[in-house]
Amino acid sequence: MERTERLLDLVALLLDAKEPLPWRAIKASFADDYGGSAEAAERKFERDKAELLELGIPLTWVSNDEDKEDGYLVDREAYYLPELGLLPDELAVLYAAGSAALASGAFPGSQDLAHALRKIGFFAGPNPPAPKVRLELGGVAPTADLPARLEQLWAAVSHRKFIEVQYYSPRQQQLTERRVDPYGLVLRRGLWSLIGYCHLRQGIRTFQVHRIKKLSTNPKNPRSTDFEVPASFTLDDYVASWPWQHRFHAPVEVRVQLGSELRPLAASLFPGAATTADGAATVSATDLDGLLKYVLSLGEQARVLGPPEAVDRWHQMAQRIATAHEGS
Amino acid sequence: MTAPAQDLNRAQERLRRLLFLVPWVARHPGLTVDEVARAMGLTREVLLSELELLTLVGRPPFQPDDFVDIYVEDDRVYVDLDQRFSAPPRLTAAEGVALAAAAELLRPAATDALTGALHKLEAALPRAARERYRDMAQKLNLALDAPLGLAALSQAIVEHREVEFDYFTFGSGSTERRAVRPFELFSHRGQWYLSGHCLSRRDTRLFRLDRINALALTDRSFEPPTEPPGAAVPQPAREGARAKDKVRVRFSPAAAPYAAERFGADVAWVGGGALEVTVPGDSERWLTQWVLSFGGEAEVVEPDWARKAVARAAKASLDS
Repeated sequence: MERTERLLDLVALLLDAKEPLPWRAIKASFADDYGGSAEAAERKFERDKAELLELGIPLTWVSNDEDKEDGYLVDREAYYLPELGLLPDELAVLYAAGSAALASGAFPGSQDLAHALRKIGFFAGPNPPAPKVRLELGGVAPTADLPARLEQLWAAVSHRKFIEVQYYSPRQQQLTERRVDPYGLVLRRGLWSLIGYCHLRQGIRTFQVHRIKKLSTNPKNPRSTDFEVPASFTLDDYVASWPWQHRFHAPVEVRVQLGSELRPLAASLFPGAATTADGAATVSATDLDGLLKYVLSLGEQARVLGPPEAVDRWHQMAQRIATAHEGS
Repeated sequence: MTAPAQDLNRAQERLRRLLFLVPWVARHPGLTVDEVARAMGLTREVLLSELELLTLVGRPPFQPDDFVDIYVEDDRVYVDLDQRFSAPPRLTAAEGVALAAAAELLRPAATDALTGALHKLEAALPRAARERYRDMAQKLNLALDAPLGLAALSQAIVEHREVEFDYFTFGSGSTERRAVRPFELFSHRGQWYLSGHCLSRRDTRLFRLDRINALALTDRSFEPPTEPPGAAVPQPAREGARAKDKVRVRFSPAAAPYAAERFGADVAWVGGGALEVTVPGDSERWLTQWVLSFGGEAEVVEPDWARKAVARAAKASLDS
């Protein structure tokens, strides 16, 4: 009998059982499959059981009930998906976000997401709402292996298995081999990043997923974990959502003044910064160049007021651009 | 990933699919083979072979009534005996996390609906999976600072209702009331846009959601176009600019590796580690902002008007 078929048969048998089923009874029901030596048969059943548990099937061993024989049982109450009671707008928002993420083509756990969407729609009818929401990553030129990389990284994050990567640094323009304990995945401004403990640099580092050129997951002991994530760790502490947030140096408090046209946008142009009604923003930058380039892109309506080294650097950049574009 | 792990994954994937398929068909009897295939994300051929396998599934002692009875009649799919596969299994922790992480895309847009939905989602997980769900949910982070108008705009799109809002125009620095027929919401590089027909401008336009204020849904409904006209986000790789609008930009050796990541195969290496790309020049404002954002590592090679525009913009910053 094919394995998938046997596993489905097992679920059907256990879902129907009124009493715990002893191994003896299960073995007898699948005499051909669990044949051979007692030891081999038990090993095979253990593997089947592990797979069912991995799928979340609430298979338990029930013992110490004097009236009944010890055996296996599937808790029906815990097995069946209950009515979720989602209101139409709740279902719509989950559908919109989930379908947009799936359609973006690169989402870690995309199979899980597809199943989850089907399950939440189970009680809703055959035609789920058609959401008009779309997600384009757009951060870098799409690469064919990004979806598979994300799946593999997500599996390593979920099972806490270390990975070995060949990582490309555009700054150094070189490849390094690193062993990394992957802590989590983050999507910001169309780019997926992995955050984890880098054994080469002996610290927590951020890796752009598209710069991972080779990737392998520790194949040993797949069912046991390789590392613990420190209790104090949170992804938010390491995420750079804006160009001035890359962690290149100690924070510099940079004062930026916006002209009358941009004033209304101060808070949305510099999220997290202290802003005033007259268009002044104080931005804490750990990547000064990143901030200055961003300010330049806002045009003449944005000026850097201090500190002096930031003003100088900003002027240098603008001067360099002006000089390069002089004459024709 | 090693081969056995992949095989294991494929086998599990199949099992998970079949445990859903039987109850789903039982709940929606008489859908066509193609409808069921589409809902399951399968091809027609794969679905038919899965249905064939399911007819062999049952429980001991495997008497005729012990088998799942699922069949196709006149190209429609039915289940007569579900063998207790009457509802799918609950969501696993991993399924819950994937959905919750994706839902964060729309936060805080639909705060109430989203919070309610996530609460119900967690409650529907098997008790044993909840801790793992909470742990894993910390590890996938898509918070994109979704703007507040998202929920109301999605509602307007679904209900085909015109909307009105104050829109801030970056170039002029002015705010103007607009009436818009909303077609689609989308996020590009983490930035949310509304695409729609602007009644004030009588044209299809893109609106950045972070520049929309005082949004109101009207009672005026409209017939949505079957194929909403696409409106391209201003970005270097967009299509549609005419040939005469093309601008050639050179990146310094320091910036070239980043540009290569962004443009993929569409770059020309010009020696010494520098490279050149061609971008649309139909918007002078976008072009100058974009070149300035590289802080001197990008230079317009041609045409001349574009070089002058960038020089002007850089000088304006110096003089401001």
